[in-house]
Amino acid sequence: MQHSTFVRLPIAIVILLTLSIDTLMAAPPEGYRFLSLTEATQLASSENKPMLLYFGRYGCTTCRKMHAEVFSDASLSAKYNTAFVLAYVDTESGNRIKLGNGERTTEMQFATRSRILGTPTFIYFSPEQKPLFKKAGFQTVDQMNLYGDYILENHYQSMPLQEFMARQ
Amino acid sequence: MRIRFAGLCLALAIFQTQASERWIFDSRITVTGPPVGAVYHHLDGSGRKHIAVNGESVAVVWEDNRSRAPQIYVTLKLLTQETFPTALSVSSGSEAYEPAIDAISGNRFVLTFEQDASVFARILTVEGLAEPVRLSRAAASHVSIASFGERVFASWREQNNGRWVVKIAALQVTNANRIVVGSIQSVEADGLQTPVLFPAIAVNSAGICVAWEDRRAGHTRLLVSHAEDAGKSFTEPQFLNEFFSNRNQYDRGSGVTRVSLASFGQDEILAAWMDKRRGGKGYGIFAALGADGGENFGPNEKVHGEEGDTQPHYNPATAGNQAGDFVIAWDDFRRGDSDIWISAYNPDLEWSQDYAPPVASGSGEQSHPSIVLDEHNNLHLLWIDRDHLDGPSRLWYSLGRTTQQQ
Repeated sequence: MQHSTFVRLPIAIVILLTLSIDTLMAAPPEGYRFLSLTEATQLASSENKPMLLYFGRYGCTTCRKMHAEVFSDASLSAKYNTAFVLAYVDTESGNRIKLGNGERTTEMQFATRSRILGTPTFIYFSPEQKPLFKKAGFQTVDQMNLYGDYILENHYQSMPLQEFMARQ
Repeated sequence: MRIRFAGLCLALAIFQTQASERWIFDSRITVTGPPVGAVYHHLDGSGRKHIAVNGESVAVVWEDNRSRAPQIYVTLKLLTQETFPTALSVSSGSEAYEPAIDAISGNRFVLTFEQDASVFARILTVEGLAEPVRLSRAAASHVSIASFGERVFASWREQNNGRWVVKIAALQVTNANRIVVGSIQSVEADGLQTPVLFPAIAVNSAGICVAWEDRRAGHTRLLVSHAEDAGKSFTEPQFLNEFFSNRNQYDRGSGVTRVSLASFGQDEILAAWMDKRRGGKGYGIFAALGADGGENFGPNEKVHGEEGDTQPHYNPATAGNQAGDFVIAWDDFRRGDSDIWISAYNPDLEWSQDYAPPVASGSGEQSHPSIVLDEHNNLHLLWIDRDHLDGPSRLWYSLGRTTQQQ
């Protein structure tokens, strides 16, 4: 059972990311095992783990603030590095990805088609690789921990995220 | 009140005598035929130069995966012909991407493309394609092309020993359609540890202008540089986009990406790009006009109009001609699905109200425009069309005939 107002389908169907030479210059937070979208999707499927897809932008103000003030939290990194597969997409890059329909495009065009307006934007996937919900903009440590708990404790199977958050 | 209302109507009518009435678009002509299976067309080259016009003919270049792997294709038709002939295969490697094209003398075209991490150039005539010539010496991509008279220049990015540079090559095209690579310059002598992305190039009587996405500041900014001619040094890069970074300690400015350049008049340059300075509304389309071949640029100007000001906009393409006219096209989904929009200066020297040509708007996803403005001020428009975001695609072309008296 899913509860979400989200979803642009292309996000669910990415299967392969061809690394281009500047992939490593993108900027996910340090101390986290963010992978390319291909690697993350394949790993999440094979290990039946939930996935967090992070749409970021090189130098993005709110991304940098979250890296410094949120992703630096030890409990958060422990939870996400252990229980989630983490994927990062640079919304302005020319890195090439291959979608589930066989189309090869760039990370930027993928973000555009997914209607990502701002960064950071986080999309959470269930262990079955179904997109559950999207959060855009600054998120606190508490919020990020609760989003994680919502999935890891299987609350997503019984109630909307809003209800779960209201009960905390 | 009635008089005031009539006055408002008159004002609106005057305001609309702009992009919407500058061109009357012919029925669209298919470039690649109906959508087929899992075949997807892309117009994603640096500077968005995928269409060119040369006297009596128009040529179009793109990438698609009809052979399963991404490869480059081109087609050329006389302006008087009602159909494009079967496409010619341009690339031959395992993968090829992001082509560009421009018209040169002798009713010929020069096109560039990336193939297996190198960049190449090729000449196209009505007789077909000449042999390709490799331009790069190290891992290269994001190639583009521009010409002015007999002067032809290609730009691309290259990475060598971990350092990134923007390269400019002067190309000589012989009467036998052979490309001779002349000088190859780096815009900046010292390579960078941070990437440079999608350099765009324009050429006119005042020299060469190149603009690119630059990440050396820990943030993407658009830089622009100018040289008087091949072999002459490029100027110290200048900021093209205005940025504001005072919100907090993390703020280094708003995001910018995908700059497109076009030459107009004798020595002027139009630059347009996607710019996130509007905050949570996503990218806007912003522009700047450069004088002296791009040596000096004026202030940034917002291109898209108020109607679309709450929406994001994507994929700007520029065109200009020596008569001094210029225009910008882009796509956005303000109407739910994506349409092509254009804007040009109105008589008050302001960007006109946004105009969605009927041939390139309406049901379905029309996106990724590429444009060229011929010397008669006719606007040639190329775009991608798909029924839905994930569906197979096709390319359309339409000629916007000028309504201006010559």
